[in-house]
Amino acid sequence: MTSPPPMATLALPTVALDALLRSMADDEFVVGFTDSEWTGIAPLLEEDIAMSSLSQDELGHATALYGLLAELTGGDADALAYDREPADYRHARLLDHGRGDWALTMARRYLYETADAVRLEAIAGGRWSPLADLVAKIVREERYHLMHVEAWLDRLATGSDDTYARLTTALDELGPDAGTVFTPLPDEQALIDAGILAAPMRELEDRWRAAIAPAFARLALPPIPPTVDPDSGRTDHGAAFDWLWSEFTMVRGSDVGATW
Amino acid sequence: MTRDRDGAPAPAIEAWEVFRQEKDGDPMRHGGSVMAPDAELAAHYARELFGRRQESVRLWIVRRGDVVDLDDPDLLQPPLDRSFKKPGGYVMRDKLAAARQASGQAKPKARSR
Repeated sequence: MTSPPPMATLALPTVALDALLRSMADDEFVVGFTDSEWTGIAPLLEEDIAMSSLSQDELGHATALYGLLAELTGGDADALAYDREPADYRHARLLDHGRGDWALTMARRYLYETADAVRLEAIAGGRWSPLADLVAKIVREERYHLMHVEAWLDRLATGSDDTYARLTTALDELGPDAGTVFTPLPDEQALIDAGILAAPMRELEDRWRAAIAPAFARLALPPIPPTVDPDSGRTDHGAAFDWLWSEFTMVRGSDVGATW
Repeated sequence: MTRDRDGAPAPAIEAWEVFRQEKDGDPMRHGGSVMAPDAELAAHYARELFGRRQESVRLWIVRRGDVVDLDDPDLLQPPLDRSFKKPGGYVMRDKLAAARQASGQAKPKARSR
């Protein structure tokens, strides 16, 4: 593999890069925290451990991405993660449905993980090495996440009438928001011009829809509908996120400024 | 398509034995067991329980029912004196040392890990 020429720091499209890192970090942070709600109550002990471990992986990715964002903007990773108001988070609306039952959780994970894989592929090999290098590592962990959730999608779709009904109900709820992972970023053309992102989000969304279509057809699942209200795909988070925010800021808020 | 429309019972959750290799060249050692409904999920759970901290380079996951279990005392703990089958009576050390000296070969080092 030939490495691309190094990019001068001055040439970084800071505003667009901030938006990209923030969206990725917030996605991983929110999906990780939401999934961690299963700790202690997952369908069986082994799955409980697996789910908790997956959640930790996602929070680990968020930590690394917030760290990169903090370096870029001169901020603090913990402050980015915990000290914003709910309206200032930029995760995809797909992740704003609350924990739900196991089928909803697996449906959300499937939609998110497959979308994230397409997004990561468009960033790996990019010209800003701090992000490209991190993404190369994240991709290796996400491989297992995909295997895990694909196994569950198969089992829920083919297990029984009940599991199929629960899965399709979950997909009905999440489907209109699924494409919000690809909400266009402010000034995203600057990322493409700088060689940080391989293609516009709209194009990545098309790739993602094409990527999951065969599995949906094989499992007789209803296709994912077009995204509803795509422009607010990473704002307008709603009550479920307000609750999650109050949960994940509770400890830090209990003793502001404490060193942990 | 294997969807079961007849409401057949969910697959039974059963035990899988997990063997792990800590690093290349090490023997596979028994790590423990996981409960899972099938081989694929058993592999996922084994990975989470015995591999998520980078403590293994390889796992073997075996359905407990597929393990050949032998615990027959007539076969394993026969009552007669079988001490003559143990190698303790044959001290090889001095003979080996003499043979090495005769051939000019050094004692091999412990296998590198």
